[in-house]
Amino acid sequence: MDTAAREKLLKVLKGELKYTSTNLAFNMLISKMQKKIKEDPANEEMCMKEMDEFLTKYPIVAKVDLANIAAL
Amino acid sequence: MLITLEETVKMINEGKILHIAADDSLLGKLPKGKWIGGTTPYFISEEGGIFTKEKLFVNEIDFAADIKVAVYGKYNIFQVVEECYDNGLTMMIMPYGSKVAAKYAKEAPEVEELLMHPIVGWISGFDLGGESEAKVYDGTSGESYTDRAVVMYIKLPEDKTAMINMINIFTDDKTDPVIRFYDNDLSVSKCSVNGQEVNFAQYIKKKGLDTKMPLVADYNGSYINTSIKEVSKDRVSFYAPVFKNIEYRFAVDVNDYSGEFRKRISEAGAHDPIMSCNCILNYQYGNLAGQKIPPYTGPVTFGEIAYQLLNQTLVYYEILG
Repeated sequence: MDTAAREKLLKVLKGELKYTSTNLAFNMLISKMQKKIKEDPANEEMCMKEMDEFLTKYPIVAKVDLANIAAL
Repeated sequence: MLITLEETVKMINEGKILHIAADDSLLGKLPKGKWIGGTTPYFISEEGGIFTKEKLFVNEIDFAADIKVAVYGKYNIFQVVEECYDNGLTMMIMPYGSKVAAKYAKEAPEVEELLMHPIVGWISGFDLGGESEAKVYDGTSGESYTDRAVVMYIKLPEDKTAMINMINIFTDDKTDPVIRFYDNDLSVSKCSVNGQEVNFAQYIKKKGLDTKMPLVADYNGSYINTSIKEVSKDRVSFYAPVFKNIEYRFAVDVNDYSGEFRKRISEAGAHDPIMSCNCILNYQYGNLAGQKIPPYTGPVTFGEIAYQLLNQTLVYYEILG
């Protein structure tokens, strides 16, 4: 994940930017990570790691969604 | 596709890998083979919504590199997250009203790694006008169960990916009151409405809310429904659990279910679903008998699984790549 996409994705997880995917699991994961960060901002790194794992496993999602997120 | 018993037996005997939905009177007659099944006599066919105990809805799994079938109870259901193929699809059927279904419904959203593995499936049901019970079938053993989940793990070729999605005709109005619950539960008495604690049953009655409309929660733009089963004097029970720390609102009224499905399907763009399932509440409340919603055909179910248990939703999966 490049730096621009990473920074924007973190903003999405912190609720500072809004992004909705067409992929159900990705939306559910974003929602879950948003709650974890809201509960404790120290969860940021762990949540980004989980997002990374998901996007690495599903490059079909990553290709479209990361490009869209980077362009926010 | 909806086919006869003889056609289904032929496919099983040819060694085809199948997912089958049908009335119990038909599933019980099938030979052993590479299949799993669940009971329901309600379907959405190419010709529209239909109630039948004469035919079976069969999906051929012709894209699998390999499969394995397993049966789980409430104490080990979450082994599905560990035993699935790394690049695969897990297809699961659980009987309506079973403890394993309740356990999965309540705890799945909190399970680590759940979203890393595509899990799709449905809750089996029965003829609402009869007295039969919901069952699932493990075709590899020929056994049926009323209290177990049957799971088919499908290994995909390296260049294929399974994608699970849904069509939900319900949405919320962000100006409506926010409802929050205090625990993860299938039945509640109290909740908070815009921060004020109320008795939920009394709140529904006082406001004259239509309980055919589900509660909806916004998961980053994907709406997840929770349908109301019953409102008694001071308790409300649900077909899927409500969760604490989730904001709910009552769904905006939908009058033309099939029209709304067609609109949402059109908005979602082209998809090539291998299998789909649609909720019995949509079938009933929306009078889907005879109504077509192409290209989504499949069993009408007593709950839908897209990672977690959903209500009043059309769930489908595609194989990409």
